Amino acid sequence: MSPEVHAPGWEWYYIGLYFFFGGVSAGAYFIGSLAEFFGGGRHRGISRTAFYVAFPTLLVTPPLLIGDLGQPLRFWHLLFDARSGFPYVNLSSPMSVGSWALVLYGAMALLSFLDNLVAEGVLDAAPFAKLYSRLPRKVYAAVGSAAGFFIAGYTGVLLNVTARPLWALTDPLVGALFIASAGSTGAAAIYLVMKWRRVHPGPELEEFERFDRIVKVLEIALAVAIVIAAGKHAGALFRGPYAVMFWGGAILLGTLVPLASNVYAHRPGRHVRSEPAAVLMACLVLFGGLLLRVSLVQAGQL
Amino acid sequence: MPKGMFVDTTICIGCKACQVACKQWNVLPGEPADFRTDPAEKIPVAVNFTGDSYDNTADLTGTNWRRVRFIEQFPEHRAGGRWLISSDSCKHCGDAGCLNACPTGALVRTDLGNVVVRQDVCIGCKYCLPSCPFGVVAFSHQTGTARKCSLCDERIHNGLGTACAKACPTGSIAYGEVADLKKKADARLARLKELGHAKANIYGYREAGGLNVFYLFDDRPSVYGQPEQPVVPQGRLVLSSAVTVAGAIAVGVAALAAFRERGDGESRSEEVEK
Repeated sequence: MSPEVHAPGWEWYYIGLYFFFGGVSAGAYFIGSLAEFFGGGRHRGISRTAFYVAFPTLLVTPPLLIGDLGQPLRFWHLLFDARSGFPYVNLSSPMSVGSWALVLYGAMALLSFLDNLVAEGVLDAAPFAKLYSRLPRKVYAAVGSAAGFFIAGYTGVLLNVTARPLWALTDPLVGALFIASAGSTGAAAIYLVMKWRRVHPGPELEEFERFDRIVKVLEIALAVAIVIAAGKHAGALFRGPYAVMFWGGAILLGTLVPLASNVYAHRPGRHVRSEPAAVLMACLVLFGGLLLRVSLVQAGQL
Repeated sequence: MPKGMFVDTTICIGCKACQVACKQWNVLPGEPADFRTDPAEKIPVAVNFTGDSYDNTADLTGTNWRRVRFIEQFPEHRAGGRWLISSDSCKHCGDAGCLNACPTGALVRTDLGNVVVRQDVCIGCKYCLPSCPFGVVAFSHQTGTARKCSLCDERIHNGLGTACAKACPTGSIAYGEVADLKKKADARLARLKELGHAKANIYGYREAGGLNVFYLFDDRPSVYGQPEQPVVPQGRLVLSSAVTVAGAIAVGVAALAAFRERGDGESRSEEVEK
C-alpha cells in the first residue's frame, strides 16, 4: 500500500496545448528580442517575424488555461483577491507568479506586435508612437526577453514543484528542457512564418540553424538526464502511448532527425540548404515540441 | 494554540462511524455505485467496490474526506496474524503543500491552525492536488472545486470538536489542543513500548512542518499507506528556479553566439534607436 499522490487530472488538450503554445510564443519572443538586442538591427527580419508569431500564438492560451478550470468564470481570482479585489500573488506558487508573468508578457508581446504594424504601415503611428517611444526599444527587448524566458520556463518549474513521482524526481530539469524546447520551436515557427510571408531568410537561415544545433544538443542532453533522474518512475515514458510520443515524437522526429538534417546540410563543402527540407524539419520540430509537453504532462499523471 | 487530532490507531475497531459522521456534518453525498455491464458477465457489476478488505472508499476524494484503512497482516498459515486499522484524513500540515501551491488564496490557514479550502474562492485549477504529499486534496466534479477535510471549521470555531472525534466510540480519534494531544500521545506510546510493541511510533511530529493531525502507528508509516519521508514540494522551488534560470542563460548564450554581429562590415541599422 504505497501512498498515492493525487494527479491533478489536467487535460492534454488544455494544459498540454497551453504549454506548447506558450512555449512557441515565448521562444519566438525571446529569440526576436535577443536578435534585436544583439544583432544591431541586422536581424530586423527575424525580430519582426518573431513578434508577429509571439502575440497570435499567445492569444490562443487564455481560453486553454481557463477551459481547464473547474470554475472557469472565477479565473480572475488568479490575479485579484476574491474578497478584497486587491491584486494577489502567492510567491511560493509558480502558477500564481506565472499568471502575473503572463499579464506582463502579454503586454510586451502586444506592444511589439503593434510596433510591427506601425513599422509596416498597417497602423497609424501617431497615437501609438507617442506612447511607445518614451522608452528606447532596447528596454522593451530586455524586459520582453526576460518575460519570454520566464513564460517558457515556469511551466517546467510548475510541474517539478509537486509531489507526483515523475515530476518530483525530474526536478529541477524540466524548466530548462522546456526553455530549450521553446527556443527550438520558437525558431521553427519564426522560420515557417518567414517563408510564408516570403521574407527572404538568406544568411539568417544559417544563423538560425546554428542556434538550432546548439539548442537541440542541450535539449537531448536534458531529456536523457530527465529519463535517468526519473529512475523507476520513468515507466510511463517507456510503455504505452506516452512512450511513443516521447521517444518517437519528441526525441526522434522532433529533435534527432532535424538535428541530423541540420548537421548534414551544413557539412563542410556544402553551402545550399534545400528549402523544402528546411520547411519539413521546422514542422517536425513544432510537432515534436507539442508531443514533448503532452507526454511529460500526461505521463506524470498516470 | 493550534487545534488538531490525535489518531490512536491501536484502539481503532474499524466501525467507520467517523466516515459516517464526516459525511453527515459536511453534507457529502455518497459515491455513486458505478455499475457497468461487463460483456463477459450476465449481470451488471459494480466497478468501484474496492475488494480491499473492509475498505469502502479506496481513496480520499471530493466526497470522502475520511477513509478507514484496513491492513490485514496474516502469514500464509493464517495463525498469529493481526489487523491494523487506521482512520485517515487531512493532516493539516504545519507546512502545507496545498496552501503553498494555491494561486488564488482559496486555501487558508485559520487562527486555529486548520487548513481550509474556501469554496467560494477556489477556481478548480487542481494545482493543490499534486502538491499534497499525502494525496489528500481532491477535485470534486460536482462543485468544480478542490475539497478536503476542514477539521470541521464551523464546529471548532464554535467550541465543538470535530464530527469524527465526537462519533468515535473508542476514543481512537481525539480532538483538542495539539500540545495536550502530544502529551497524551507520548504517554500512550510509552505504555505501548512497555507492553512490548517495539514498532510503535508517532507519525507527524516532524513530517511536513509538524502535522496538527497526527497518528500513533504500530508499524512503519508506509504499512498504513503514509509516506515515510513526506516532502513539501515547495522546498525545492529555489533550486528548481535557479536551474531553470541557468537553462535560460544557456539558451540565451546560444542565441547570442548564433546571432551576434561578426564584424563583417554590415552597418547597424539606423532604425534601432528611432
